[in-house]
Amino acid sequence: MRSETGFDPALYDRFPTKGRRPKGEEDELRRIWCKPKGWEYLTVVNNNYVGIYYLGTAFLFFLMAGVLALLMRAQLAAPMLEILPQGVYNQVFTMHGTVMMFLFAVPAVEAAGVLLLPQMLAARDLPFPRLSAYAFWAYAVGGLCFFASIFVGLAPDGGWFMYPPLTSKTYSPGINTDFWLLGIGFIEISAIAGAIEIIVGVLRTRAPGMSLDKMPIFAWSMLVFAVMIVIAFPSIILGTLLLEIERAFNWPFFDATRGGDPMLWQHLFWFFGHPEVYIIFLPAAGMMSMIVATVAKTELVGYRLIVLAMLATGFISFGVWAHHMFTTGMPPMTTGFFSAASMAVSVPAGLQVFSWIATIAIGKRSFNAPGLFVLGSIVIFVTGGLTGVMVAMVPFDWQAHDSYFIVAHLHYVLIGGMVFPLFAAFYYWIPMVSRRALSERLAKWVFGLMFTGMNIAFLPMHLAGLQGMPRRVYTYLPGQGLELPNLISTIGAFMLAVGVSLFLVDLARNFRLALDEGNAGNVYDGATLEWLPSALYSTRSIPVVRSPEPLRDDPKLAEDVEKGRYFLPGSATGLRETIVTSPLLAEPQYLQIMPGPSAWPFAAAIFTAGFFLALTVQAYSFAWVSAVLTVASVLRWLWDTDRKVEKGEVDIGAGIMVPTYVTGPSSHGWWAMVILLVVMAMIFIMALFSLAFLWSNQPSFWAAPPLGDAVLISLLYGVAFAAALAARPLLRRGPTWPVLLFLVSTLASGIALWLDWNGWNATGLGPEASGQGAVIYALQALEAFALAIGVLMAAYCAARAGRGLITLPRSNTIDLTMLFLAYCAAQGLTGALFGRAFGMP
Amino acid sequence: MILRPGSSLSVTSAGSGWPPAVFDPAGPYSEPVTTLAWALLLGGTAVFALVLAALGVALFGSAALKARLGGEKAIWIGGFAFPAVVLTGLLIWGLMLTSSLSATRVTGAEMRVKIIGEMWWWRVHYQDAEGRETLRDANELHIPVGKPVLLELETADVIHSFWVPRLGGKMDMIPGRTNRLLIQADKPGVYKGQCAEYCGGPHALMGFIVVAHTAEDFARWKASRVPARGEQGRGLELFLSSGCAACHTIRGTPATGLAGPDLTHVGSRQTLGAGILPNNPGTMAGWIADAQAIKPANRMPAYHQLSAEELLAVSEYLVRRK
Amino acid sequence: MIWKGGVAGSMLMILAACDPAPIEPPLADAGSIARGKAAAQRLGCGACHELPGIDWPKGRIGPSLAGFGNRALIAGTLPNDLPRLAAFVADAPSLVPGSGMPAVPMDAGEAHDIAAWLQSQRD
Repeated sequence: MRSETGFDPALYDRFPTKGRRPKGEEDELRRIWCKPKGWEYLTVVNNNYVGIYYLGTAFLFFLMAGVLALLMRAQLAAPMLEILPQGVYNQVFTMHGTVMMFLFAVPAVEAAGVLLLPQMLAARDLPFPRLSAYAFWAYAVGGLCFFASIFVGLAPDGGWFMYPPLTSKTYSPGINTDFWLLGIGFIEISAIAGAIEIIVGVLRTRAPGMSLDKMPIFAWSMLVFAVMIVIAFPSIILGTLLLEIERAFNWPFFDATRGGDPMLWQHLFWFFGHPEVYIIFLPAAGMMSMIVATVAKTELVGYRLIVLAMLATGFISFGVWAHHMFTTGMPPMTTGFFSAASMAVSVPAGLQVFSWIATIAIGKRSFNAPGLFVLGSIVIFVTGGLTGVMVAMVPFDWQAHDSYFIVAHLHYVLIGGMVFPLFAAFYYWIPMVSRRALSERLAKWVFGLMFTGMNIAFLPMHLAGLQGMPRRVYTYLPGQGLELPNLISTIGAFMLAVGVSLFLVDLARNFRLALDEGNAGNVYDGATLEWLPSALYSTRSIPVVRSPEPLRDDPKLAEDVEKGRYFLPGSATGLRETIVTSPLLAEPQYLQIMPGPSAWPFAAAIFTAGFFLALTVQAYSFAWVSAVLTVASVLRWLWDTDRKVEKGEVDIGAGIMVPTYVTGPSSHGWWAMVILLVVMAMIFIMALFSLAFLWSNQPSFWAAPPLGDAVLISLLYGVAFAAALAARPLLRRGPTWPVLLFLVSTLASGIALWLDWNGWNATGLGPEASGQGAVIYALQALEAFALAIGVLMAAYCAARAGRGLITLPRSNTIDLTMLFLAYCAAQGLTGALFGRAFGMP
Repeated sequence: MILRPGSSLSVTSAGSGWPPAVFDPAGPYSEPVTTLAWALLLGGTAVFALVLAALGVALFGSAALKARLGGEKAIWIGGFAFPAVVLTGLLIWGLMLTSSLSATRVTGAEMRVKIIGEMWWWRVHYQDAEGRETLRDANELHIPVGKPVLLELETADVIHSFWVPRLGGKMDMIPGRTNRLLIQADKPGVYKGQCAEYCGGPHALMGFIVVAHTAEDFARWKASRVPARGEQGRGLELFLSSGCAACHTIRGTPATGLAGPDLTHVGSRQTLGAGILPNNPGTMAGWIADAQAIKPANRMPAYHQLSAEELLAVSEYLVRRK
Repeated sequence: MIWKGGVAGSMLMILAACDPAPIEPPLADAGSIARGKAAAQRLGCGACHELPGIDWPKGRIGPSLAGFGNRALIAGTLPNDLPRLAAFVADAPSLVPGSGMPAVPMDAGEAHDIAAWLQSQRD
């Protein structure tokens, strides 16, 4: 057998171990991973709790956005009704889309990942539990405040796509739009935090032996999902940032009268917005693949094909964004490319659908609750996929675009591709966390009402669109034949709502949280690791995985795991811990010590939310106080981490020894930092794209850049880069060295940035002057922001060095600061040179 | 349905919605799209039926059929080979159609009109072959049948989208750009259009009509586009003194406001309020007195301060602007 | 709904029957009433008036015409009978000088139908 890390796979044969485990081992695990009490429910970081909170909150947003939808359907039941006045309707439809996309769909699948992944991978927790807690609280508090804006009439009303110039200060002077830009910008941060967590979790905390080809499909889908978030979300983060800056400081990124371009927003928005659809769909498809196989009591047909299809979807989905812009007057060559890509992306979806059908064909027929929702999902999703192919045809899209046809199409795709799979998942996985499973009898009603209601609601919308009914209208004139389809749609919508309400009744009657012990267990006979007996510490011991469906292939596995006959049957260090394994073959590498409950992530989330909320309502002093408190809370939470562990090497079972502290490229912290830098780089690349885009579209507004200072700036950034990199090897000589080098690095970068700014300033180009000026200074602002964090990190290193908290000869804190500062220098250099490259005389 | 131009049109009944506008094309820039739409609709239904049949076999089929469906070969055929072939064919059709319908192929024989989107109505500037402006109007476009019309689409504020489904696809009006769209009507009649890009406020009530005339009718219509003789009188006086002229132009009078629609020929329009109300003395008076009740949040204020007699005088004056 | 409305309607009729009923002119034929409603809609009378059974527009500048059949007077001056109402609908200023309601071009048949429809509006 091959090995990835030098680990001898023959060692796996030592498991399951023989002999009895020492008494008290399990009690210690229980003590270490104990249940929270009282206020501790706010400070928990365990993925079981955070996952449930997260999923519950996402579902709450689903219900609230659903109520908004019912209000809209009531208003549209007949022509020219006045149930919702124009202004309110415009807020309601904007909130419905925004909440469904940003506060329900993405968080819901992320929550499912937080809840399910550690169980499926048999990890004790995700690698950054406090980050999960922070991401959740930031999302929950920020999301609820954002939603509350509708109760005071301050909800955004520019549509979930927020096209400028309608959303510019001129046409939307109120703070409604700021609620969207700041609220959503903030929630995106939480999505990114979750994505980093998931990537590192899937690639580094799988049970030993679970090589990539044995990984549950859901984990694959979450991996692709998280990578897509990392690539796509930076685009919308930058977009919201630029639009907010335009509104607040009058920098004309999107103002065509001053060399900006509203089309830039559309590109930034849809470069995120279309992959977003697949971001939502893929994890749901991953769930479908797992549920289909279990329900049919067979193995999944075409596992490799599905993985391939998901990778292909992720890849192609970044080449389809402009199909939302077929009517903006793009040249036929361009629309042709995006049309082809949009059709191509339907192929991997078809592969997955046929894999599910094949799995059903070889398996046993079953119409239990998850089975029904799986079938319904296939039917609805296929319909949406076919209308998707229709609108991928450019000439047809010229008619269908922005009409009710699209409303129908997208609801078929999202309800079939995400909502129904999620309901299947609810029925399927609730026994894992609840004392009782949900009612099968009621499920038939829930399914029947939801499926019928969904079709009655959305099928007629195809027709309404083809009759000429545009989207986003608060009403329509009588006499155009729109009365009947709209009335039918409204009836269907309420039917769908009755189905969902019935599900709530079921939840109220049967859902009894049992995270610790006593859950209903494996009622559907699943074969993956989440169905091992578990408690708050996850499984008693961490099994060696020898096949994709370990529970089916080794009927004794559950018992052996429960008796502690596998890895890590107790706590090796007396702390929370999990095994970090290698990314491809999942060979044990080291034991990660995990942080326990803490109030600081919670506090940091509250203050972050406070900061953004205060910015929105323009309470600036309050905003700055919150910002300082946020930073303080984050630093305080980090202060406990990265400590020296007494036992350098520990036995993780059967005499296999691994280190407890690892630095460098194989540590989970390094991975997370690299991913974070990818996110920052993507934001910066999108900003560079903005500059190039404006230059190619608005060249007449262009000013010549300063060139004389380029050499000195490059030199300084070079010094900053080298100084940062030198810090790691020089730590050997004592912690003073890296701290000094960090000082040099930040100083050099700072001076270079100042020179860069000064050079542009001397040309007389101001940020308000033109699109070019706005983007140039935005690039510098991004660099300044990164550098400010770099300075904070350097100061943090200095503080830890002063307290003797830097471990020698290697330290993760120093490593990560090094990476960050080196990145800052590289980003600054790129920005300075790129900015000068456009419009050179 | 076809309404005789000049007949009193009720916009609320212009088009019964059946057959659906997209399936009821009236010119060469919409007809091929209708063919495509039918092909897509029928083809899509057929594929849907196939998938349903496959699902049915997977659930209820005989063991032999199930076995055939339950392998990677079936997945490759159903999920890859079949869609790849169909989609390639569709793509080629789509690309050819796209280029033949795009306004990149302009011969110079087209009638030219610039249309500028405003919150929440439309400026219509007729041009001659050299692109010089010949006539200004608002909210309705008159064209001769059988002749392609090249529209230059711009916006004065936010993004709008021009859409008259029976004559062609839609095209956005984007700040800083001029987009071009070709439309053509082959039968005389009134064709309803509407803004398709959300533009805030009463976006839902931003309508538009295209009136297609026979060649003779069109010539007659064109000839009649001279401002009514300099009529003096109470109506005009009030129009000027009540502030109407600050926003509206009536050529041949001191009224030269630019913010709102040009009213030189407002009496000859078939609709008021951008394609939403019929145009007659009654609706004219109602619109002037309280446009906010009819189209909430539009830019025309309510003129409650006019007395009954003043209101009548102004509206009668405007109705006579043929 | 229909059932409920029916009950409510018959209740009203019973109640109305107890009142000393004012002497009302007989209703015009149903065809005329239906044509009148369509004509009012087509002509956009709603630009100024709230019209019974017509959702939009609901102008506020003129009086609501709901229950018009119960009114004794037209515009507070003329007796509400069919010929006079028809004449008023078509050309208000000539009958009631100082009325803010303009003359609206329509033929005599349309005016008659609209008047018939308005008079059929009795609560």
